[in-house]
Amino acid sequence: MYESLLVITDALPYILEGSLVTVGIVLGAMGIGLFFGVPVAVIQVYAPKALRLVAGAYVWFFRGIPVLVLLFLFYFGLFSLLGFNISAFFAAVIVLGLRGVAYQSQIFRGSILSLPQGQIKAARALGMSDLKAIQSIILPQALRLSIPGWSNEYSIVLKDSAIAFVLGTSEIMSRTHFVASRTYEHLPLYLTAGAVFFALTTMGVRALRILEKRVSLPGYSAHS
Amino acid sequence: MRRIYFLLFLGLGLVMVNSQSTWAEKTYINGIDANFPPFAFVNKSGEPDGFDVKAADWIAQEMGFEVEHRPMDWDGIIPNLLAKKIDFIASGMSITPERDIKVDFTIPYWTITQVFVVGEDSGLTVDSILHGDKTLGVQRGTSEAEWLKEQAKEKGWKFTLRYYDSAPMAVADVVNGRIDAAAMDDAPAADAVRKRPVKILGTFGMEPEKFGYAVREEDDQLLQTLNDGLRRLMKDPYWQELIETYKPGE
Repeated sequence: MYESLLVITDALPYILEGSLVTVGIVLGAMGIGLFFGVPVAVIQVYAPKALRLVAGAYVWFFRGIPVLVLLFLFYFGLFSLLGFNISAFFAAVIVLGLRGVAYQSQIFRGSILSLPQGQIKAARALGMSDLKAIQSIILPQALRLSIPGWSNEYSIVLKDSAIAFVLGTSEIMSRTHFVASRTYEHLPLYLTAGAVFFALTTMGVRALRILEKRVSLPGYSAHS
Repeated sequence: MRRIYFLLFLGLGLVMVNSQSTWAEKTYINGIDANFPPFAFVNKSGEPDGFDVKAADWIAQEMGFEVEHRPMDWDGIIPNLLAKKIDFIASGMSITPERDIKVDFTIPYWTITQVFVVGEDSGLTVDSILHGDKTLGVQRGTSEAEWLKEQAKEKGWKFTLRYYDSAPMAVADVVNGRIDAAAMDDAPAADAVRKRPVKILGTFGMEPEKFGYAVREEDDQLLQTLNDGLRRLMKDPYWQELIETYKPGE
């Protein structure tokens, strides 16, 4: 028992260092997802049919393939074929990000569809272009409504990021694995890794909860 | 809004270009399976360590190049080499005909035998594992996993193979009593015996194998450098020192 504790205290700094890598992957992937997910959602709701089909195909592709297969496909296949020699870390960020675009776009799409679409007509009556109406009327509401779904997405991506260790990134799981191989204290070490993930999930979800309250508009919420 | 998008794009681009330009130095990257003590592992301070790691360090210094050890998953280590994510593999890799088709190997530097590991108090013998209705743990993607699978089919052995990410995980399951035995190289088996309540049962009929460093087939120059380095290292007193420090032979 005492020995197990000693192994954990020895390994903790090393594993915690890995949480920086994990957080980096998650922030990057969530960033890419947000950056492209919003336009994809807008396209899926408002764009002409041809564009909608393209966006739909993208979402269909990235939601239909396991993330492990995507990682191998891009890291060993596509990126190499195109001549990019990017690091495992960036490959993980990009692949989880591209997949995030697909998932996040559906969160935003749901929020957009939950809004009364008469608002666009009202905006047109005021002389706004559709794009302007989407940007200043629809999105500010939809993004606020998306925060709960987005926080769910965060907790999923955080844990999915552990799979990046197959490419050779040294995030939380791979580091835990290495220490366990040297010390044979598998159970206490994986419990430690679980606790680190738990803390990261809790912190992120809390922060998003605070954001949700901060940006909420008085008298306006999903259930009013 | 649009400006934010533009700036983010620019930022992302810069980061990627930067990460590429650090590549150009004359540094060779050694991919290691850090779940393979005593040949390669991550030590207490979080640094790559082990027999192969220290040997590669010595060779790098002797032959005048920089080496960076990158721990990665064993399953993906040859794809990583072929995709040029790493430049060579000095990490207890057995020279096998299948691997030799895809990569080139240096001269052999170590001979290894494969053994069964069982619980300390187990009454099993090699024969009872091979012929009985037992469960046997192996590391996925290893030569012993391949050999056991093929031979079992040929000879009608009845054990069930369970696949693990690493030999230590298979040992952990032997200790847990979830599998009857685990097959692995003798060196990690000896490492396990030093740390866990298990014993080595002995070899099970597989021919001894030789370890070599793997490089891409087109990298003739690196292959020659590593070969020269290995020859010099094995004549140097440091070689014995390494063997005494990491005890890969016990």
